[in-house]
Amino acid sequence: MHHDNGIWVSTEDLNREQSFLQSAEKEFSVENMTETDGQWAASRRDFLKLMGFGLGAATLAASCEIPVKRAIPFVTKPDAIVPGVANYFASSFVNGGDYCSVLVKTREGRPIKIEGNSLSSVTSGGTSARAQALVLSLYDTRRISSAGTVENGSVKKLSWSDLDNKVKGQLQLGGNIRIISNTNISPTAKKALAEFTAKYPNTRVVTYDPVSSAALLAANEACFGVRGIPSYKFGAADVVLSFGADFLGTWISPVEFARDYASKRKIKSVNNASMSRHYQVESHVSLTGSNADTRVQIKPSEMGAAICALYNEVAALTGGAGIGGPALNDKAKASLKKAASDLVAARGKSLVVCGSNNVMEQMIVNKINDLLGNINSTIDFSVLNNLRQGDERDMARLIGEMNAGQVALAIVWGANPAYELPNADQFKAAFAKVNTRISFSGVMDETTALCSHAAPAHHQLESWGDAEPKTGHYSLIQPTIAPLFDTRQAEHSLLEWAESANLNRQDDQPYYQYLKSHWATDLKAKQSKYSTGAAFWDMSLHDGVFEAAPAPRAVSFNSGAALNASGVSQPGSGAVEISFYETVNIGNGQYAHNPWLQEMPDPVNRTVWGNYLSIPVEWDGNTKMNGWMGLNDGDNVEVEVGGKKLTCTVVRTFGQTPGTVAIALGGGRETGGCGVGYGVNVNPWLPMDGGMIQYFAKDAKVSEKVGVDKHFACVQHHHTMGLAAKDEKSGNTINADEQVLAYQGSLTDRSVIFQANLKELPKLAEKLAEFHHEADHLNQQTLYPDQADYFGTGVKWGMYIDLNSCIGCGACQVACVSENNVPVVGKNEVARHHEMTWLRIDRYFYGDLENPKVVYQPMMCQHCDNAPCENVCPVNATNHSMEGINQMAYNRCIGTRYCANNCPYKVRRFNWLDYTTADIWPANEERLFRVDGDDIPFYADNLVRMVLNPDVTVRSRGVIEKCSFCIQRIQEGKLTAKRENRAVLDNDVRSACQTACPTGAIVFGNLNNPESAVVKAAEGVGDLAYQVLEEINVRPGVKYSAKIYNS
Amino acid sequence: MLLTRICRVFSIVLLTSVAAQAAPTIEEGKNLFIANCAACHNKNMKDNLTGPALAGVEERWAAYPRADLYKWIRASQAMVSEGHPRAVELWAKWKPTPMNNFTGLTDEQIESVILYINDVANKKKDDKGPKDDQASTSGGGGNMWLFAGLGLILALLAFALMRIIDNLRNITRVQAGQAPVERTLYQVLTTKGAVAFLVFAATLVFGYKSVDNATAMGRQQNYQPEQPVAFSHKIHAGVNKIDCQYCHDSARRSKHSLIPGTNTCMNCHSAVKKGTISGTAEITKIYASIGFDPITNKYIPDYDSWSDEQIEKLYKQWIGQEYAAANSLPALNDAGRTVVEHQWDGIVKALKNDSNGKIQGPIEWVRIHNLADHAYFNHAQHVSVGQVACQKCHGPVEQMEEVYQYSTLGMGWCINCHRETEVKFNDNDYYKQYARYHEELKSGKREKVTVADIGGLECQKCHY
Repeated sequence: MHHDNGIWVSTEDLNREQSFLQSAEKEFSVENMTETDGQWAASRRDFLKLMGFGLGAATLAASCEIPVKRAIPFVTKPDAIVPGVANYFASSFVNGGDYCSVLVKTREGRPIKIEGNSLSSVTSGGTSARAQALVLSLYDTRRISSAGTVENGSVKKLSWSDLDNKVKGQLQLGGNIRIISNTNISPTAKKALAEFTAKYPNTRVVTYDPVSSAALLAANEACFGVRGIPSYKFGAADVVLSFGADFLGTWISPVEFARDYASKRKIKSVNNASMSRHYQVESHVSLTGSNADTRVQIKPSEMGAAICALYNEVAALTGGAGIGGPALNDKAKASLKKAASDLVAARGKSLVVCGSNNVMEQMIVNKINDLLGNINSTIDFSVLNNLRQGDERDMARLIGEMNAGQVALAIVWGANPAYELPNADQFKAAFAKVNTRISFSGVMDETTALCSHAAPAHHQLESWGDAEPKTGHYSLIQPTIAPLFDTRQAEHSLLEWAESANLNRQDDQPYYQYLKSHWATDLKAKQSKYSTGAAFWDMSLHDGVFEAAPAPRAVSFNSGAALNASGVSQPGSGAVEISFYETVNIGNGQYAHNPWLQEMPDPVNRTVWGNYLSIPVEWDGNTKMNGWMGLNDGDNVEVEVGGKKLTCTVVRTFGQTPGTVAIALGGGRETGGCGVGYGVNVNPWLPMDGGMIQYFAKDAKVSEKVGVDKHFACVQHHHTMGLAAKDEKSGNTINADEQVLAYQGSLTDRSVIFQANLKELPKLAEKLAEFHHEADHLNQQTLYPDQADYFGTGVKWGMYIDLNSCIGCGACQVACVSENNVPVVGKNEVARHHEMTWLRIDRYFYGDLENPKVVYQPMMCQHCDNAPCENVCPVNATNHSMEGINQMAYNRCIGTRYCANNCPYKVRRFNWLDYTTADIWPANEERLFRVDGDDIPFYADNLVRMVLNPDVTVRSRGVIEKCSFCIQRIQEGKLTAKRENRAVLDNDVRSACQTACPTGAIVFGNLNNPESAVVKAAEGVGDLAYQVLEEINVRPGVKYSAKIYNS
Repeated sequence: MLLTRICRVFSIVLLTSVAAQAAPTIEEGKNLFIANCAACHNKNMKDNLTGPALAGVEERWAAYPRADLYKWIRASQAMVSEGHPRAVELWAKWKPTPMNNFTGLTDEQIESVILYINDVANKKKDDKGPKDDQASTSGGGGNMWLFAGLGLILALLAFALMRIIDNLRNITRVQAGQAPVERTLYQVLTTKGAVAFLVFAATLVFGYKSVDNATAMGRQQNYQPEQPVAFSHKIHAGVNKIDCQYCHDSARRSKHSLIPGTNTCMNCHSAVKKGTISGTAEITKIYASIGFDPITNKYIPDYDSWSDEQIEKLYKQWIGQEYAAANSLPALNDAGRTVVEHQWDGIVKALKNDSNGKIQGPIEWVRIHNLADHAYFNHAQHVSVGQVACQKCHGPVEQMEEVYQYSTLGMGWCINCHRETEVKFNDNDYYKQYARYHEELKSGKREKVTVADIGGLECQKCHY
């Protein structure tokens, strides 16, 4: 079956279903508006009461005197702080094995935004959604506010000295001490740990990762004698093959990998275009898989078979011996044969990575890379990646020790085993047998609730610290705000308990001195640029990073490492297999308590607030694509794995291998914040194999539909455009806009996405040239005056988005939310199409129906020069600036929403409720998002409001809002240029989405400057650059590039 | 005859003008008040301070000869001991704080002070600053009469026309053999047309007034709150000619123009320890805020941990010492002790408040210019780039004893300035990119480039 333009967004779109048309029609769903589900029970009486109150309030307000406001200066003003001017501090985002070098933007001493640090060669100024959301977790109302004893899930306050005395008393009893942590990449923390261990020699640190890479570490040790993860050079690889490793989204160091990967995917010119080729072997669609040129669909249990098959093919081509292996489906086999020849052709410049947690599989992959000559080439062991160090087998040993009563004291540091482990139940039972259980966690997570004492650590933005994400890459963490609560650095606590002589307790910040002395002595020795420790420290603190050149290290494959096909996972015989994966936003639940991340749609499924069961869609052989077993989005089913039953909500997913389902980790958190009550905890489903956690199960039972999630929140069909419809009577394809969706304004099969194979690039360029020509011709017939002269003077702002570089990771979306005070509305409101995001990432499919390719298209206000929204505003609240910006004056808006209706791109958002609680009315408050168990709405808490950007108005109820091209940044950049008597340059103004992007897909700048990056980038790809809906003469200010794949 | 009359009139004019020169003036009264009375009596004349509020002082003494009032001001305690009923009454109310003696004041000077008191007490807030565009362009009161007159004439005209129509109609009625109809004024005024017109007019006027008043809501032109420290911009910016941006130093680089921190004050006041007007009364507040010991000229290292008593002791000692020195007293006398107490009270009142429960810490000024939250204003843009003088918006601050809001800070006021102000187009390379304007300027097609021409009236220049 062929779709008219080869692009579709969902099954309903493909099937041209009436229900879909209705759904798409609902730019703002109103289906639940009148329902009285206990939330919305306002009666006429209420209305009259409120009206009476309103009149009264207005009269009162009018007659009252204006309140006296105070202006409070500093007593002694610090030189560095100028009120109204932001300060940036270099720091790092570190959470277990997640790392990103960042700049923290503070205003008047309050961190409000995370930017990438371009001085780091690891992340190169890129960020991830997780890093962007760091600031919100600082202002988490659920943070533990003091040290104390844990009683019934809450902390009973103790002074730090009391706690220290108690803990020291316990430590000195001499029992075994265990410190449970996720990967710790801080050299100075390790030094502190060493001091602690020296003082109490019966201490052992037990490390595991929320999502394990233990097999990779073990395999590398076996194959190369190095228990570590090498540097993967995606930027040097012409052919990349990944066995289920989501290296663009979640695997080890995604920000770094994404940048390198994208550097090989950018089309720099139409002629002589080249790009890498990417194969992905997987069962569910990962973010990485959705970006692949060829997705090889396998069942999760076929991973071993696939790896063996590739090995055999590569060995055959390179003259090695095969190892046999389990049977693999023919389709995958054929694809892997082709992949093998590509890989061999690119010998030494190819790369095979594997996300499996099976040692033998990883060893075979290592051998494949060895056969391909990739070791010491695209796989470099001189710089090791420190981001995954954990081994769950250690945890199993610990559980045994605890059960045997051999552990007297346990310290939990940055880990949440009571939730994250598959055998959490065993852990909980064993943990209870430990006499003293101390947690450093800042929130009351599942493990802290089981502890006897809480010694809450500072939030990262309040802490000193360092990180060594890769060998020789050192990165500092510095506080950007004084601690908000009575917390203490974890390292400080350890040193205190170890009675360290190196901790200067008299100092205001003892750990700062400790850290500084470590850097100024130990790390200083690794460089020669600065002769004094103080100078070295100052410079490192300023830059945030210090990079020492690593000594080259070549490794060779250990001939003694025996490869054995029987050690790989064997295909299962169950009817349904299930795979488990980590999402970009939630991880394995570590980020579940961050509302920004919860409300960021999962890039692939486009669902929010929870984890959903992905099921395949099936071609009925005739006209329709159906959900597996006739299931629909939002249906609830009962799933049973290993005898444990859970009720999951279904979401149909293109590309999900038939006979398999998948569900993300990280749902169903039980304590600690806003993530409680969303999704299900599937960790108990994860099987163990050889002591290692397996992220799939062979035999899952999925029931028939047992119910419906009334608030199923998937944004895929919200704010859609470019859709066709099928006329019910005639059966013809029709323009949805004209026939059905006059309200929605969708357009049939218009120029939203263009795609082509690399081989056919010249053909596409030709087609697009023709299209541009035609659009231009159409647009000549215009009633609009020619504005070239008007916009040609001064600055004209514009944007270019390279869809080839965009991997859909969502960092831009969270950055936009953070920069522009975009409110979190909560799951129920999202279900009603009320999400407020100014920037959405549309997901389009193309290619094979059962295994399609994906284009991600960041879509925000296009700032049309002939903006349709402007013409229909009755009060001129939205209008155009001579700099090409479609302006929105909130105070003028009266909320007719005509503009939203008339917007062809569906990018305008309406404040249905008082989301930011600018002025609360009780009837509105009901539906506002609040953290489970809170009395007041989320934004009503002053702590949360500290995250607001003071340069951007907080919108009130009843007004439209949308992307402003970060007008506050434009104003700031222009002012800088004016004050320096010069033209405005590219670096003066960078939009929030642009700075967040790890792959440089978004370029913003002055279209009137022929030298600006935005002009150069669009010119570089020539005719491949297009405007969405170019032919309708709205003249958008944003250009996209066609999506090119290479298969 | 005529000549004598002219002479007489001339001499009267001459005499009155001479007399006016010798008579007490408000201006003199103000200076005298600040120099002598302001330490104890509230400048707003309405509230009590150490001494009673002075508004209505003439009325309160009206039952006694004017000389009694003079005497009371010059030596109050003497009158109390003489048993003057008003004096005794006052003493009973205000003891134990006696009023200082001001034996040097002449009758004329006292009259000047009374004139000043009455002036302040009776003064309604003048409109000092510029108005919004519509108000400043209209002629105000003069036009009002014009309109009223025109209205009256039109009403008479309408009435006359109505009579003519009635008469004409009656003529036709009579010609047709019908009886003429005489309408009363009441009947005329209650015709459909008249009622509709009145309703229409009322709606129009009501609507106009509503909008007009609504726009003015929240505006605070001429707002002049009392500040915790009687800081005189006149002394600092006017007399001593300190540059505005010496203290408000972030105006050139930030959107805010920053109230200076206490440490900025200390740059000068570690040396200048007594004020021209208020002596130690105000400057000691700075010391108490930051913890500076004016006796030893040193900052107090652990000032934050000092108790109120410690602070009180130090600064009372300082004030007393200075009082004694100024009055060449060997030791502090009663009057001196009163001054010390009074000034100490002032310090506590200025520095200790609900949000900061102790004396140490910042001086909490009352914010005068409150721009609405949804309006973005950047000082740096105007001060550094536009090179707009501070006075353009803030008025003659260098002449203000106490600052008030000079401008409306309304949108019309902003827009008007953006329309009129010429951009420093040729001095700044930023504006080179406006090639078309440069060409037009060169060819003479365009005379100037205003802020509006480069987008200064666009919504998102100020609202986002």
